[in-house]
Amino acid sequence: MAERIKNFAKRFDAQISLDWGLVARKGNKFFYLHQNLKSLVEKNRRYYYAGLPLGKVKHGKFFPSFPLLFMTVEKAKNRIVVDDKAAWLFICGRDIFKEGVMQVEGSREKGSYTLIFNKHGECLGFGRIRQNLDRVKKGVAVENVLDIGDFLRREKHQRLNAAQF
Amino acid sequence: MLGWEFKETTPKQAIRVNAMNVKGSNVVERLESLGFKLKKIPFLENGYWIEESKFSAGATIEYLLGYYSIQEAAAQIPATLFSDLRGKRVLDACAAPGGKTVQLADLMQNTGFIVALDVNRLRLNALANQLERCRVKNTVVYRLDARKASKLGLKFDRILLDVPCSGNFATDKQWFERRTIDDVERNARLQREILAEAAKILEEDGELVYATCSLEPEENEFNIDWAVKKLKLKVAEIKCYGEEAPTKVFNKQLDNSIKNCRRIWPGETQGFFVCKLTKE
Repeated sequence: MAERIKNFAKRFDAQISLDWGLVARKGNKFFYLHQNLKSLVEKNRRYYYAGLPLGKVKHGKFFPSFPLLFMTVEKAKNRIVVDDKAAWLFICGRDIFKEGVMQVEGSREKGSYTLIFNKHGECLGFGRIRQNLDRVKKGVAVENVLDIGDFLRREKHQRLNAAQF
Repeated sequence: MLGWEFKETTPKQAIRVNAMNVKGSNVVERLESLGFKLKKIPFLENGYWIEESKFSAGATIEYLLGYYSIQEAAAQIPATLFSDLRGKRVLDACAAPGGKTVQLADLMQNTGFIVALDVNRLRLNALANQLERCRVKNTVVYRLDARKASKLGLKFDRILLDVPCSGNFATDKQWFERRTIDDVERNARLQREILAEAAKILEEDGELVYATCSLEPEENEFNIDWAVKKLKLKVAEIKCYGEEAPTKVFNKQLDNSIKNCRRIWPGETQGFFVCKLTKE
């Protein structure tokens, strides 16, 4: 698990240091435990959720959580700041157009992963650079991989599921 | 005397700012710049009513970043009644969908720990989603019936019982069609079972807050009267929004300490009942 998490942080040219003794596995999900939760969780292992989720593994692939993404924020070198319109479209699941990019730090290469920030310096998710940012003039510059609008999509999904009962 | 003027009400939508997440960011100003008209709720430290908005309060970047939660005003009261939550062992026995769990974590500033219980898997997903969005660190969630909470083998300093209830007719227009007195009595029995279990796992100097959004005396004053007499719990004085609960209901004289409970009649908020219990 440690390798998966480190590799995820490396995508943004960042290093992550966690107290690996506080990482707990529950099925295919991984949690980062608050110090006070460790003994509790060891005593009652049938928990559903604990501390901060780090992500899950599905079909051999690691899906990071938002808390893990936010843990990488301070150290990540690859980052793009976007304007309000692009930020809004991004959290609606859309890609980022060159026109919405205000500032680029770190890699500009096609295929690199980068964190997406709004003008308040808040991380909204991450994406993958689709075209070299020095050369692209217009069109999609960064493909959306994960954005915080996912919380809304999950809520909607949960409401739909609940309505079926 | 329970009588009051009957009128249909629509409680205003309210938000609660998550103080732990907004350090250095003025979320109220930001929402106002988006076209939200907010009004400070006078009886809550971090609560605001939404007077006007151009779009859903659940669809802003600030919401998705966990800067605030959408939480009805009266529902924000119970968690604030505990004294000194920092570093405490807290049980939220009927936790989903998690609004009050997040509020407890906020008041605890992520210290101590919260054990959050619920039985419904779909509601547990909603709870997990809230905890992740609001970056709560000190909570563990179990799929467990509150009536079996002692199975965890733990004692708690603070217990929140926001128990399942019948709701109320002021906010649910079909309430009279969907509820019978049998439903109310069944809920009251369930609530007593939860109260009895919670009393077992409350520390000697602990505090238990009991809340419902029901206006039925069977689920409120009668249950607390029962808890005072059978479980030897004591109704502590609280200072919060709402009226003193009646001590004589349906010609039945209740323990005088029931007046320390608060009834919140629907109007600007939903109908609500809340009280704080301690061990004798």
